[in-house]
Amino acid sequence: MSAPNAAGRAALALIALALLAPSCSVIQQGADMLGSAGNAGSTVQTVTTAANKVRSSFADITEEEEYYIGRSVAAMILARYPVYQNDALTRYVNTVGCSVALYSDRPEIYAGYHFLILDTEEVNALAAPGGMIFVTKGLLRRCKDEETLGLILAHEVGHVAAKHGLQAIKKSRLTDAFMYLGTQAVKTFGPEDLAKLTTAFEGALNDIVEQLVVRGYDRSSEFDADGLAIKFGARIGYEPAAIVRFLKTMVGDRSNAAGKGWFKTHPSPEDRIARANQAIAGINPLPKIDPARTQRFTQSAASLR
Amino acid sequence: MRREKTAIAALIVLAVGLAIGAAQILVVKVQTTQLRNSPQFFGPTLVTLKAGDRLEKLAEANGWIQVRTAGGAVGWIHSSAVAEGSAAVSPTGPVKTQATANEVALAGRGFNKQVEDSYKAKHADLSFVWVDRMVQIKIAPAELQDFLRRGHLGGVK
Repeated sequence: MSAPNAAGRAALALIALALLAPSCSVIQQGADMLGSAGNAGSTVQTVTTAANKVRSSFADITEEEEYYIGRSVAAMILARYPVYQNDALTRYVNTVGCSVALYSDRPEIYAGYHFLILDTEEVNALAAPGGMIFVTKGLLRRCKDEETLGLILAHEVGHVAAKHGLQAIKKSRLTDAFMYLGTQAVKTFGPEDLAKLTTAFEGALNDIVEQLVVRGYDRSSEFDADGLAIKFGARIGYEPAAIVRFLKTMVGDRSNAAGKGWFKTHPSPEDRIARANQAIAGINPLPKIDPARTQRFTQSAASLR
Repeated sequence: MRREKTAIAALIVLAVGLAIGAAQILVVKVQTTQLRNSPQFFGPTLVTLKAGDRLEKLAEANGWIQVRTAGGAVGWIHSSAVAEGSAAVSPTGPVKTQATANEVALAGRGFNKQVEDSYKAKHADLSFVWVDRMVQIKIAPAELQDFLRRGHLGGVK
């Protein structure tokens, strides 16, 4: 390798790295142009490698990858809880959930939002990445109106929109996975790469499920999701105070549900109520509960009573 | 020497490319979505778009982006459905216009169906039956619109 050549490549690599932050695609377009100048086979390689190095955090996970992670997380949740099979109620929950999602900050997601009811008296709601969301029968029983269900589903949509689930994946795991992906433009992995990727995938799923089911998100993520629920709820027209009404049912609870689900994995209801009230105070105009909505909720949830 | 000159010329081209706003190209990042007549979810749709479709950005308003497709159709798409032609894109279908090398490198790669299948093979006890059923639950736009209207939600008339 001659000296000017090496210097030229080094300069290109440095400039490419300096420019990576604003836009990877633009860099690559530049590299394509270099390629067309008939000089840059190795430069394209350099730039592509650099671009892939940028793919190192949860935010770089593609929508399609998020969907596949979410599917397996959903399967793991469903291994812990049976499904409550009630087509009419499931459809109603999906309609409320999809409505709220439409007024969220992330209405479009790879394969849409989908909701299922879990057959347990535990009070819980869980959001897998990619928009697969679960609510328990025990939680639905505590909802008195559509406003409350809407706000709770908005809280879960908030977790998805803010990618809280993906943030649970350990950084080293992602770095490894992105490294195995290499730079070659092939769609099918060889056995060795597939084995390594599957191990990384498995690790990522365990990180997420551990956080969702066992430890819970950190307090700030939960307060964040409550804030988003109030924001999305108010945007569509649900009375935001419904979330406070719901949280009040959890204060001083001594039922069998206490100590599990939301009781275990979420900050205390008292703390959540205080912050929710603050957020609600900033909303103007404040939507009010609507009897037409309460009526259809009562009808849809009648089978739970 | 000649190679150095070529490299410098190429860098100038790159800089010009940056200056004239090459970031006007957007890529659809969701499986499928609609190009809409106006910046709202309900109302007439123009074309079905799919992951990897490339769009030219024309204007932006309240979370919606006006775009032109490779086929020349002009309409609106929600900003959450597109990425700015970056690494966070994984086109699965044929790319309409020339894709950047980085996008090609990421196409369908990473945690994909092949990885899911490999994971399933290791965990034969884990059932995906309800996951597959769950993702099949679809609420049609007309049904959603009717639900919102009857519930006096979202200002839907």
